[in-house]
Amino acid sequence: MDAGDDTIRSAAVPNMVRLGRLLQFSDSTLPVGAFAFSNGLESALQTEVVTDPASLREYVELILRQSARMDGIAFLHAHRAAMNGDHDAILVADRAIWCRRVGEEQQLMLARMGKKLAELALKIGPFPRLERWLGDIKSGATPGCFPVGQAIALAELGAPESEAFVVHQYGVASMILSAAVRLMRIDHLDTQRILFAAQDRVADDYHAVRALGLDEMAVFAPIFDVLVAHHTTTRVRLFMN
Amino acid sequence: MPLHELLGRLDEARELSPYHTEPGQMRAAGPGKIGELRLGFSRRGDRSVLHDLYRVAPLLVQRALYWDEGMPELPICTIISVGGGILQGDRYKIDITVEEGACAQVISQGANRIHQMDANYASQHQSVTVGAGAYLEYLPDFTIPYRGSRFINQTDIVLDETGILLYGEMMMSGRKHHHADERFGFDLLSMAVSVRRADGPVLFTEKVLIEKSDPTIDFAGVMKGFDTFANIMCLAPPKIAARIQERFEPHFETEAPRAISGVSKLPNAVGLMLRVVGIETHDVRKEVRRFWRIVREEARGKPLPTEQYWR
Repeated sequence: MDAGDDTIRSAAVPNMVRLGRLLQFSDSTLPVGAFAFSNGLESALQTEVVTDPASLREYVELILRQSARMDGIAFLHAHRAAMNGDHDAILVADRAIWCRRVGEEQQLMLARMGKKLAELALKIGPFPRLERWLGDIKSGATPGCFPVGQAIALAELGAPESEAFVVHQYGVASMILSAAVRLMRIDHLDTQRILFAAQDRVADDYHAVRALGLDEMAVFAPIFDVLVAHHTTTRVRLFMN
Repeated sequence: MPLHELLGRLDEARELSPYHTEPGQMRAAGPGKIGELRLGFSRRGDRSVLHDLYRVAPLLVQRALYWDEGMPELPICTIISVGGGILQGDRYKIDITVEEGACAQVISQGANRIHQMDANYASQHQSVTVGAGAYLEYLPDFTIPYRGSRFINQTDIVLDETGILLYGEMMMSGRKHHHADERFGFDLLSMAVSVRRADGPVLFTEKVLIEKSDPTIDFAGVMKGFDTFANIMCLAPPKIAARIQERFEPHFETEAPRAISGVSKLPNAVGLMLRVVGIETHDVRKEVRRFWRIVREEARGKPLPTEQYWR
């Protein structure tokens, strides 16, 4: 082995460690409470908006598109702010998501998962920016939205924003699909097939929103919006939203 | 005449960038193209009055009338558009202020038609201010964006924490009975709203953006099988909002529903949002009215009269 090999090897180490930790933070078993939420799927099934694998795939596509154009924009802003060490800009992105979230259960999901993620990360490694953000959540200075916590954590792991965005979008899809296995007649192959296909759109979604400002966070999914209200009043339910 | 700053700011919206061409007719935002309306309501004794009225055609309000049998103290203003609809290059500015302890209702004469466009766009800015203990029902009729139209609207609401506002938009997908291509055939519909206290940060904001190329319009979670929708806010103190939410039964039949609806809490305890999706305008109107009745009963302890037969 010559000196050149050693250089290549030592240069690869940080990237490999980063990839490993990105996988850990995008794993659906990461205990941040995602298992308790279905992102509207429970109501979508009860109201027959989703009935089979084809309509589930469409539902996942819609939520991914929405997620990129709403939370995804604030996520990218928070990621850039964390990279630049701009704590105030992180809080601006946090408030931008919170003041756009309609529905008590959607709000619960945001805040509960955000806080859990920060608490978990601080127990397993050094995340100084996340620690400061958690302090602000506890003092009531910021709402603590999950995508913002995720953006800070991934920035602290050194993930560039495009990779971090993939983790964010992947988490949204895997949350719905793991709920689907428990809620409807569908096997693991179908959900994996949908998850695999859903990755096709991630680059387009990223390019569609990467240059947008927080004021440009926008949506259009009226039936989904009614579903959000529907779930709150449902008596029989497995999930918290 | 310089364009009002808030209205001018809308021109810079990214989604308008493909549409800055000049109309072949009257110049965009030129004389005769800027409609302005300012309404101010205040309390005088047992009833409220319209004490301030300023208008520039094509927007028109004549006077306040008192014809609500459930609330005889309620001044009602009907916004009339003498232009017969919104045209390319039009700019509208509407300001409504309801002072402390006053009440008011502002409605529109009929559907707000946004005509077909081959140049430029139309924009509208609204400021709504509701003071302490004041009550405003601002419910314009349906907006119908014609094929090829472009419309941007921004509504900024400043509400005292003891004030109550019922405000919202009812939208149609286009002239659905006129032509098959009318259904979501418009180029752009951008509708934003923001809510804050006087001198406070934004507590709730939402932007609905529908662009021509949206591939999800007929997704089951978007508008599949439906042509109309409404987003109606009731901004009210938390106790009143809780009573309204408790009383409003969501509506979601799985067998061929005419309309589906539900009420959700807005962030930062500013109030509620009614979401309705329906087939025809009357299906949506019925749900909005069901909500309106509960809001008025809980907010004011007053009944909402039966709807006029011509509506």
